[in-house]
Amino acid sequence: MAKTVMVVDDSASMRQAVSISLKGAGYDVIEGSDGKDALSKLKGQKVHLIISDVNMPNMDGITFVTEVKKLPAYKFTPVIMLTTEAGEAKKAAGQAAGAKAWVVKPFKPEQMLNAVSKLILP
Amino acid sequence: MKTATACRFDIDGEMTIYTAADTKARLMPLLAQCPVLEIDLSKVSEMDSAGLQLLILAKRECAQRNGDLRLTGHSPAVLEILDLCNMMPYFGDPVVISSQAH
Amino acid sequence: MNMDQVLQTFIVESRELLQDMEASLLRIESETEQSESINAIFRAAHTIKGSAGLFGLDDIVAFTHVLESVLDKVRNNELEIVSDLVALFLLCGDHMALLIDHVESRADALDVDKLQAGASLLEKLSIYLAAQPVAAPQSAMAAAHEPRVETTGGGLVDNDNWHISLRFGRDVLRNGMDPLSFFRYLGTLGEIIGITTLVDAIPTAEDMDAESCYLGYEINFKSEADKVVIEGVFEFVRDDCVLHILPPHSRMGDFVQMLSDLPEEDLLLGEMLVRCGTLTRHELAQVLAIQAQDSVSHDDTTGEPQKPLGEIAVAQRMVQPEVVEAALEKQKQVKDSKAKQQQLVRVDAEKLDQLINLIGELVIAGAGVNILARRNGQTALLEAVSTLSRMVEEVRDSALSMRMVQIGETFNRFQRVVRDVSKELGKDIVLSISGAETELDKTVVEKIGDPLTHLVRNSMDHGIENAELRTERGKPAQGTVRLNAYHESGSIVIEVSDDGGGLNAERILAKAIEKGVVAPTQSLTEQEIFKLIFEAGFSTADKVSNISGRGVGMDVVRRNIEALRGTIEITSQYTVGTTMRIRLPLTLAIIDGFLVAVGKSSFVIPLDMVVECVEMSDQDRQALQERNYVNLRNEVLPFIRLRNLFEVEGEAPRRENIVVVQYAGQKAGLVVDGLLGEFQTVIKPLGSLFQHLQGIGGSTILGSGEVALILDVPSLVQKVVQAEMVPTV
Repeated sequence: MAKTVMVVDDSASMRQAVSISLKGAGYDVIEGSDGKDALSKLKGQKVHLIISDVNMPNMDGITFVTEVKKLPAYKFTPVIMLTTEAGEAKKAAGQAAGAKAWVVKPFKPEQMLNAVSKLILP
Repeated sequence: MKTATACRFDIDGEMTIYTAADTKARLMPLLAQCPVLEIDLSKVSEMDSAGLQLLILAKRECAQRNGDLRLTGHSPAVLEILDLCNMMPYFGDPVVISSQAH
Repeated sequence: MNMDQVLQTFIVESRELLQDMEASLLRIESETEQSESINAIFRAAHTIKGSAGLFGLDDIVAFTHVLESVLDKVRNNELEIVSDLVALFLLCGDHMALLIDHVESRADALDVDKLQAGASLLEKLSIYLAAQPVAAPQSAMAAAHEPRVETTGGGLVDNDNWHISLRFGRDVLRNGMDPLSFFRYLGTLGEIIGITTLVDAIPTAEDMDAESCYLGYEINFKSEADKVVIEGVFEFVRDDCVLHILPPHSRMGDFVQMLSDLPEEDLLLGEMLVRCGTLTRHELAQVLAIQAQDSVSHDDTTGEPQKPLGEIAVAQRMVQPEVVEAALEKQKQVKDSKAKQQQLVRVDAEKLDQLINLIGELVIAGAGVNILARRNGQTALLEAVSTLSRMVEEVRDSALSMRMVQIGETFNRFQRVVRDVSKELGKDIVLSISGAETELDKTVVEKIGDPLTHLVRNSMDHGIENAELRTERGKPAQGTVRLNAYHESGSIVIEVSDDGGGLNAERILAKAIEKGVVAPTQSLTEQEIFKLIFEAGFSTADKVSNISGRGVGMDVVRRNIEALRGTIEITSQYTVGTTMRIRLPLTLAIIDGFLVAVGKSSFVIPLDMVVECVEMSDQDRQALQERNYVNLRNEVLPFIRLRNLFEVEGEAPRRENIVVVQYAGQKAGLVVDGLLGEFQTVIKPLGSLFQHLQGIGGSTILGSGEVALILDVPSLVQKVVQAEMVPTV
């Protein structure tokens, strides 16, 4: 059974590119265009990893992670947050919310794939 | 080592961080009562470090009471984990590797 | 979906972001609360950089990175938003748009001058970066990670493999990080030769928390990978574990260091190292010997024990609650404003056009059913058909409204135009916008941009006087150009006005006579004189400037607007100001029509231009022989006979009707044979062959399958009014 990754980013190109490379490596992917959209797409199904941008409209990444971690089904789901070098304050807030893995933008598709593989293999 | 009939404990489904607290709560009274405990792992669908820790804990608790922990029916998910961190010798149970495993 | 398609997404997305960025930049100086705009600007650069990296568009990443760094300073209030900075950011936005265009064109290399332009922008940006010291010290944590103490003494160990020693923090499992998954990944980089699990940290059953991690590992790892890569495997648990990586053939001293750093008893740990194959028993003995010597001297020099990394990490986390709160508060502000605009679905314009076309056909089919039902006369059928018609009408309206967009976005683009042009001209001019929420058809919006740009530039260049003259005339030194839009009887009206010098009717007339556009003897109304500026090759500017005044443009503006079935009129008062008023149909696709008959032909008059219908009295019919106006309730109403105009065959019936139409404040009568009632009409454009027909705006198909021509009321009204005026002069 393929492992499922949720990709949350308001940039459609970012989301689609990440999704394509993950699918190519054998993961199943669910996409969310912001925190709110992503939450609505989580219906208790198994999600092995969440990749989320920080700065998003409607619901930002940190609020999203805080909310996700409140759901019993995703309490321990690992989260990779996408950030800039400049995001130290955000990083602290994200860590508190339960996002311990950070990947710095910009990254190449294979870098994201590597990061994901460290946490779960397909 | 006593040869008294062992208490049996089935683990059905996940043995992960999501179920660890619950599994431990169910395991604790057995550890207190039964010196010899047999855990059937044939229905374990998924296992992680949290699950592994529980098995280690159970093994140690039993040993401290001069009892024994026996693991049986290792499912593929369990075998993969025990193999990955080389814990097979620690538990020392005979393992039947079926041709379908993996 | 493939990467190529995603690249297209990227291009579209980037352009939208750049547009947002520009809008925010233009808004920002006038805002008291700037954080939202700053965030929008930053977000644009940030998102483009992020996605560009994914596609390996390194030049975009490189450029945007510097821009983002400067923007970050702005965001952190280290740099104040001043006019110069805004101007620089605007140029950077333009350059990014160029780079995006370049990606789309798939050309190999960027032009030399574009490269230079980019380089010079980067240079300007870097001035802001250099102004303050770049405060990016590696955190104390990073330093603490690498206690690379150069130990002396002891030979090299024989082991060809890496040694990895790990003690996981209590929270790693709760954070979703499973040590076992790192080992699986490690397996993709090489081979795990030996691994031993340290279980002694697990407390008694009562004290053990099943969700905490108590495990440690010693791993003998064979791999060609370098240290950075191996370290990278554990990057996500770096803050949550104690990690030691010793390369192949490390010094004994390094193992000594490691043993002293780890909490386990040295002997036990040493045993583990032997068991996983990293050290031979002999080597272990050597290591322990060195360890014994060192520990004596160590204890002498430093009294306090080394603080475990975990404690530092915990201490660091103590500061978090306030930070979190502040960050969340800020996020919320941005979120609220963005929420509204994001609830949009992007639909291919072509699909929408197709839907509208289909609805057009539906409207025609519905009209056909309507006619049949009326002939049939069954009440039940008539009722059903009338319900159906109402539904069709609603569907039509909502489909059309989907194409309607607010004109605000188009207006906002002029902030930039006004800003740039006023700099160029050295005049202080502001743009004031009203009616931004007025909606009109998307196709109209797309075509109105150029004419508006011309009018705005024209107002700024010719309209607004220089500061001295303005003060002399008692006006504020700062000139104002105003864009306004509103709906009026089925049209949208767009106004471009200025508080400048106004049009000088005398001078325009003199110039027109000089150019031979009008005869010296001709007498013209003020309105007609103003309209002369729309003639080809006409310019009253004394001085030709870069902006306008070359005499090209105003005639093009008129033609563009006429192509949209629109008109333009001017009101102006000398020394006070000018207003150019563009009147356009709301939509180009479907109208409510009023069907009339002349002989055997049917014509459609746009319903919203129909004021009333009156039967022609005998008195009028007689008067018709002498003059071409009738007395409508004591008002002079010029009229025209469609029968004559379109040379319809046959005699006029005994009873004729006048349809009174109105356009742009002018009323006129159209004489027709019969009134057939309201009728929904899909406008089919005329073939190019008929494009020059006067008085006809399009055609449509009736429910019966017959063709009806749609009257071009604006041009008819004009014709009627002129015809009426000529003999009186």
